[in-house]
Amino acid sequence: MNALRLAWLNVLRNRRRSLVTILIAGVGCAAVLVAGGFALYTYEALEDGAAREFGHLTVARPDYFARDEETPMQYGMDGYRALAEKLEQDPRVRRVLPRLQLSGLISNGDKSMVFVGSGADIRAEAEARGPFLQVVEGTIDKVGLTEGNPLFGTGGTAVLLGVDLARSLGAHPGSGLTLLATTTTGGMNAIDVEVAAVVSTGWRELDKRLIHVDLATGQRLLMTDRVGSLSVYLADTALTAAARAELAAADSAHAYKPWWDQAFYYHSVRALYNRIFGLLGLIIAALVFFSVANTLAMAVVERTREIGTLRAMGALPAEIVAQFVREGALIGFTGAAVGTLAAGAVILVLPTLGLEMPPPPGRSVGYPLLVNASLPLTLIANGAIVALCAVAAWFVSRHAAQKPIVEALGHV
Amino acid sequence: MKPPAIALTGIVKHYRMGEEDIPALKGVDLSVPAGAFVAVRGPSGSGKSTLLNICGLIDGFDAGSYRLAGEDVGGLDETARTLIRRRRIGFIFQSYNLVPVMSVRDNVAYPLLLNEVPDAEARARVDAILDQVGLAGLAERRPDQLSGGQRQRVAIARALVKSPTLVIADEPTANLDTATAGQVVDLMKTLGARHGATFLIATHDDRMTAHCDEVRGLTDGVLQ
Repeated sequence: MNALRLAWLNVLRNRRRSLVTILIAGVGCAAVLVAGGFALYTYEALEDGAAREFGHLTVARPDYFARDEETPMQYGMDGYRALAEKLEQDPRVRRVLPRLQLSGLISNGDKSMVFVGSGADIRAEAEARGPFLQVVEGTIDKVGLTEGNPLFGTGGTAVLLGVDLARSLGAHPGSGLTLLATTTTGGMNAIDVEVAAVVSTGWRELDKRLIHVDLATGQRLLMTDRVGSLSVYLADTALTAAARAELAAADSAHAYKPWWDQAFYYHSVRALYNRIFGLLGLIIAALVFFSVANTLAMAVVERTREIGTLRAMGALPAEIVAQFVREGALIGFTGAAVGTLAAGAVILVLPTLGLEMPPPPGRSVGYPLLVNASLPLTLIANGAIVALCAVAAWFVSRHAAQKPIVEALGHV
Repeated sequence: MKPPAIALTGIVKHYRMGEEDIPALKGVDLSVPAGAFVAVRGPSGSGKSTLLNICGLIDGFDAGSYRLAGEDVGGLDETARTLIRRRRIGFIFQSYNLVPVMSVRDNVAYPLLLNEVPDAEARARVDAILDQVGLAGLAERRPDQLSGGQRQRVAIARALVKSPTLVIADEPTANLDTATAGQVVDLMKTLGARHGATFLIATHDDRMTAHCDEVRGLTDGVLQ
């Protein structure tokens, strides 16, 4: 008989008790895998969102990131078209989009509101980023947003308005508005625009202030040929670090910031979730530990006389403890296997249910409740459950194994 | 000439019960020749089990000396005593003390597992000893599927399978009926002789003492 088979037979001595303990370990493992998988899904979604929002890399003059501008576009880029074309020749680069940031006042003639927004090629942005705006009224496609489009291109006057800003101004598609902003020389400039669509970003605070215009309109408002930055979209997010290192090394005139340096929300959520799920993991670990310890403590008491017999026959205390540790590890292993299967079932079934999480604070839209399957997480969770159970077994058996043999043999 | 299997000189053992010091053995001298079949008899509380525990190295003593097959084992630490028990001492208990989840074969094989005997050799030795105790056909049964006599046969096989120097048997027939007890005693004596083991038996069963080479009485911790 090998030691593992003996351990398994001992686990089966009190089947109901062992089954309950295995289920507790299984539920713990499944909880860790589902909660951890949800956190991983959230991180991945946020990473993806951040990369889509900022571009995998943001290229600008170094001062653009390091210093505050005294006038708009003070640290903007002049020869951005040539640099964009050069960057697009890199096989890892999928798209390079010039952007400029805008702020100022928007008025319907009766009422003026502060706006913040951007000037960019919205159609190209949509192609590179995927759907990043929810159209509430009007249509982006219908008016056309590409540069040069007679209705909404270079020299065009169309604007996309945030839904709450549109509500404040009583604006709808077709409404005429005026944008007022400080120019690059410090003067004021105003242009008339027409609302093409009312959109929502999902961020309520942003929707109260948001406008999007095409790049040429933005440059016309600021009276500049510059852009603030170039957003570089790569074929794969995983290429970001390597691409950044190589592109930055070849271009000392510009700074290349990866998406994670600008994704403050991503970092905040990740830090928050790490703490929440870390605490949850600790609670689960404690539950599993005490449950297994309780089960094995009862087994140790029941088998005290047997321990004495084995010690009399020449088993060392460490060998007795090792036997209980094997039993604990087997309970943990079985529980982890059950938990992994249960978590796998949850991961497979969730997408078919179409469940949604409520909107996070500050947002107006929820997000799908999905859980990522992760091999490293599975291995870590399984290993932790097995280790916890083994440690619990060691904890409860070490004293019994050291008990005087005569005393153990006399145990009733 | 072979040294005695057991040579006890002036063994003193006390138990403490709270503040009270209770003497269990009061200067016991005992010499058991190698291969002998010796019984210690006495009433309950006379110190029989204490004496056997000391001889089996599962309990210590307060004064005196103990030589096991010529080796002074009195001053050994617990690990050394454990390893001597593992290799050289077998135990037969009144209540059999078999491991309930193990089959007969696995119970008997356990001492060989501890001694890291290779699987093939262990299997052969277990088969042989089970044949000798008449349980060859019951090797895969579990203890709860056996009668009391059969269980004690398994315990005897377990004690002898490693060919020990010494077998300690504490009231081995106390839980058995007359006929079965007689068979168990015969078996112990026959196999003890075949394996060259020395038997030290605690008993107050006359059926047992009748088969012994020597019977020593123990009263109030004093060996007669």
